[in-house]
Amino acid sequence: MKQTTKLLSSLTVLALFAGSALAESRTWTDVQGRQVTATFVGLEGDNITLQTADGTMHRFPLANLSAEDQALAKKLVAEAPAAPAAAEGQPAYLANATVGKAAAVIDGLVARGLVRANPERMKTGKKPITNFNAPCNDEQFVRRVYLDIVGRIPNHEETTAFLANSAADKRAKLIDMLLDSPGYNSHMYNYVAEMLRVKDDFGGGNNVRGLPYINWLQQQVEKNVGWDKMVYSMLTATGKMWDKKADGTYNGEAGYLLRDTGMPLDNLANTLAVFLGTDVACAQCHDHPFSDWTQHQFFELASFFGASTTRYQPRRQKSRTKDGMAMTNMADKLMPEVEGLIEKGGGDLTRIRNGLRQFIGANNYAITDLAENSTKLPHDYKYPDAKPGDFVAPKFISWSKDDKNLAAYKQKTKVEEDLRVSFATWATHPTNPRFAMAIANRMWKRAFGQGISEPVTNIDDPNQSVNPELLKHLAEEMKRVKFSLKDFMRILYNTRAYQSEATTEFIAMGEPYYFQGPLLRRMTAEQAWDSYMTLVLGDPDKYKKPLEDLYSKSIDLDLYNPKLDAKTILIKYDAYRRMAAKESAMMGGGLADAGGDMMMEGSKGKSKGDAAPAGEMMENASLKYGNLVLRRAAELEQPARPGHFLTDFGQSPRNLIDGSNKIGSVPQVLMMMNGQAQEMLTNQDSLIFRTMEKVKSPSEKVEALFLSVLSRRPTLVEKDIAKRALSSGDDGYANMIWALINTREFIFVQ
Amino acid sequence: MKTELNKLNPIARRDFMMRTAQAALGVTVMPALNLRAAGGTGPGTAGFGKAKNVIFLWMGGGMTHIDTWDPKTGSTKGPTDPIKGKGSVDFLGGSMKNMAEVSDKITIVRSMSSKTGVHESGTYIMKTGYEPRGTIVHPNLGAWASHFLGRIKGVTLPDSVVVNSGSAYPGSGFFPPALSPIPISNPETGLQNIRPSSGVSDNQFQKRVSLMDEFDTAFRKKFQSEEVKAYSEFYDETMKLMKSEDLKAFDLSQEPANVREKFGRNQFGQGALLARRLVQSGVRFVEVQSGGWDMHNNIDQALNTTASSMDQVFAALIQDLASNGLLESTMVVMGSEFGRTPDINENEGRDHYPLAYSTVFAGGGVKGGFVYGATDKDGRRVADKQVTPQDFQATIGHAMGLPVDEVVMSPSNRPFTVGDKGVPILDIFA
Repeated sequence: MKQTTKLLSSLTVLALFAGSALAESRTWTDVQGRQVTATFVGLEGDNITLQTADGTMHRFPLANLSAEDQALAKKLVAEAPAAPAAAEGQPAYLANATVGKAAAVIDGLVARGLVRANPERMKTGKKPITNFNAPCNDEQFVRRVYLDIVGRIPNHEETTAFLANSAADKRAKLIDMLLDSPGYNSHMYNYVAEMLRVKDDFGGGNNVRGLPYINWLQQQVEKNVGWDKMVYSMLTATGKMWDKKADGTYNGEAGYLLRDTGMPLDNLANTLAVFLGTDVACAQCHDHPFSDWTQHQFFELASFFGASTTRYQPRRQKSRTKDGMAMTNMADKLMPEVEGLIEKGGGDLTRIRNGLRQFIGANNYAITDLAENSTKLPHDYKYPDAKPGDFVAPKFISWSKDDKNLAAYKQKTKVEEDLRVSFATWATHPTNPRFAMAIANRMWKRAFGQGISEPVTNIDDPNQSVNPELLKHLAEEMKRVKFSLKDFMRILYNTRAYQSEATTEFIAMGEPYYFQGPLLRRMTAEQAWDSYMTLVLGDPDKYKKPLEDLYSKSIDLDLYNPKLDAKTILIKYDAYRRMAAKESAMMGGGLADAGGDMMMEGSKGKSKGDAAPAGEMMENASLKYGNLVLRRAAELEQPARPGHFLTDFGQSPRNLIDGSNKIGSVPQVLMMMNGQAQEMLTNQDSLIFRTMEKVKSPSEKVEALFLSVLSRRPTLVEKDIAKRALSSGDDGYANMIWALINTREFIFVQ
Repeated sequence: MKTELNKLNPIARRDFMMRTAQAALGVTVMPALNLRAAGGTGPGTAGFGKAKNVIFLWMGGGMTHIDTWDPKTGSTKGPTDPIKGKGSVDFLGGSMKNMAEVSDKITIVRSMSSKTGVHESGTYIMKTGYEPRGTIVHPNLGAWASHFLGRIKGVTLPDSVVVNSGSAYPGSGFFPPALSPIPISNPETGLQNIRPSSGVSDNQFQKRVSLMDEFDTAFRKKFQSEEVKAYSEFYDETMKLMKSEDLKAFDLSQEPANVREKFGRNQFGQGALLARRLVQSGVRFVEVQSGGWDMHNNIDQALNTTASSMDQVFAALIQDLASNGLLESTMVVMGSEFGRTPDINENEGRDHYPLAYSTVFAGGGVKGGFVYGATDKDGRRVADKQVTPQDFQATIGHAMGLPVDEVVMSPSNRPFTVGDKGVPILDIFA
């Protein structure tokens, strides 16, 4: 032992490669005959790295080892060439790497970044980091990994099953199981919806709803469609969201461009920020260290969308319908006749007219490719290279001078009809310098709480990020897994870095962080809500929103079908209205109830007073407690209306990219202390109580309670506190539930 | 530490928290500009510190300047004919019938100009004076005021409130979350969940709270991050508020029916009334949000509802404040992310237009019947005395008595000022 210490202290501890199980632990001997028991991690040039049982990595010259061990090390490398090949530069491409191997390489890069950062850290008076944070224990892991992958805490059964499992690979198995469960879809959808600002209400008072778009996104996530393919579909979609495709699905992808109807420039700025991590708007106020976007370049990009419109405009359309007749908006023509029919039928025209017009108007929301590109510079364009009102031809931006030679840039930019296809192909191409990196950086942030490059909407110069090697490697990995976000996340969750304890050190906003473990994070609004749902329902994924296609089916009206007649319009409108009423009832209040002034008159009947007793929490599609619909966030209105648990908890209003917040507020705390949600959990009929019923003794009950809420067993001190709480009356258990769901421990993800 | 804090009386505790917040933020106080030396702000300059309270009426969507505060008669004229105002308020948009009556109490700034025609960033810049950044969140004026002037004394109410929104974003920005405004989603329901659930006695509630603190001890000790601490502060603040008499300020049912009618039975109207009640009780900064101004289509119809409602609410608020003797000390400000295009588009609407737009001030030391700045004949460009969103922020800050020339360092060590070095418009103050 003494010798071991001596040997190691004489080594230069430099790089750390953790998590790798490439070789078994053995005894290594150096030229002086000193010995150490360690696992071989890798060779880099003339240096060898070994890992001792305490997890610490030791790097030192290979020549220090005995000749025999030197030979062994070289042999091991030949057999398992997994560790990064060189100290500088990128690790070799990991074709066919196993998840474990891919994770180990990432750990190596993170570790190198940690060590590299130490001189800077020490300058600011902070202690150097010599290793990852301690590995998290099973209780921390099970809670974290459920929250991170399926967006909710594990229920009592899931927690105890995992803790009782003694298999060596139980963590990897759990990760796999969770990635393939419906909870993954729900949680990933929430992330995508927040990033893309997905809304049910598309505004404009035209009955245009994002439902088909929402459904489409959910299906894409469910099928684990590659991110590149998803984005390509959204950028190239044409037509209405509710157009039915040959395979029976709806054209929901059109929702991406229609989301920003009338604001194509905003849409483009968001496209660049979200998909390419490029904030072009920045050029207006400060110099880019790396890339210097001009307003002209922005309009050159806008020009790729300049021959498309989000309003149905058949007259200007490039590819007209075959019969050449569909030029007339039949609804305009038929309106007098329709109104006549309404009056004849005794309907109140003034009341119906507006709704009818909105119903018809919704069908003008369609992406159409036009015969000509109308992209012009704005009237206030003030740079000398062009004049206001000048036509702008489409041109891609590049991040460095060699980019133009990349395959991504070999796109046609002349034919108007193909412009969006060209843009989408370029934007989602594996050789696009930013596409893979942007989503990889985002996914990293999802796992660790911070991007390698921040903000994630503006990567700017990857070399200025906290760990350029890692960032570039992740981009390559994203391509290697063919943009499967699920497979990518699988690798991250299997890293030693991820499976470390959360960092306790305070990292100020904007301060670099090197990923010695995940950051402590407050639950997102959706995680908090879905965790409450888990406490109430056990398995919240059983409860889905109803009737998802009704809207698409009933809103559709082909305005340019020459055979359209007045009666059909009325019949369709009537069907649409009946659908809306039905859906509103099933959803527990739909959009119609969410409008501004209506709340004033309509709010009375929905007060807490007529809350359904908890005993009525029966198994049906639309479980409710008071006015809370008990389904996961992804299955509720998008976004939730003001005053909802989700809103109070900081759910994104879906106006800004990644627009949620994790700030506490008085209303939020009031809700946690006094709101319906806690009432539901402290109720005698709640699932927690039912779980506690299963065991007899108070101490077992307390343990069940802790496992249900905090995913861990109580400590000795906590058992004493619980005993005291129980001795002071019948409300003891309810009080404890209340206390635990109100702890910071509950709401923060360790 | 926490228990010692709790031993202090509420006011002392607040001061303590402010001081620690300041220490933690590494605040430096040094004049950023020569503004003060030049008589541009500071004690003794026109209007400085006159506004003890501010009600900020937010017209979400981009308020059309030509149809409201800066009407035109030429080719860009809107669907209504301009009407006459009072004092030097020559004309107002045709929907501003009630405002015309009280136009002797307002200052219109017609020469606003900004760079961004995007809703999100336009909103952000008008509320903070800064462009949105991915690396930092800037504070709103309520948080700035709490930072410089301290938390309001003698009441348990929050310093600032945002009405008609589920979120206070950008809230306290880089200041501690405790300075964040409280969002009130619906003025009718006010602060929800303010009482313990039915059947939970005060005694039981106290038991629960102490159990919570006991169970959470280990976690809070391990993770002493700012976020965790901020949550604990919110719990403390909230429990104090629950016991407070001041809560009546949130209860609109205490207002007579005719007053409620006067403000209009809609969310904006009742929100403005709630703002008056809050200001009356000492709340320093209240933002009331309204929407419907994103009039890309059929502006005629849209004006009929949105502009007329705004006209009623704004005028009612000014009259109400005046009759309650609050207008002297309360500044009412109306702002929006940008104006709308002078030319009517193919959908009979107007699009986003940041180059020229208007804001309105009333009370809090502002001149009445006054117009500051001007646009050209068609409302396309600022023709006189351009005002930026930064100047707009600085003007309100100046009226509240904030040192707009002082640099505050954020926790990430970057320098910021109220309104990003904007210059207060002293001309609008009496």
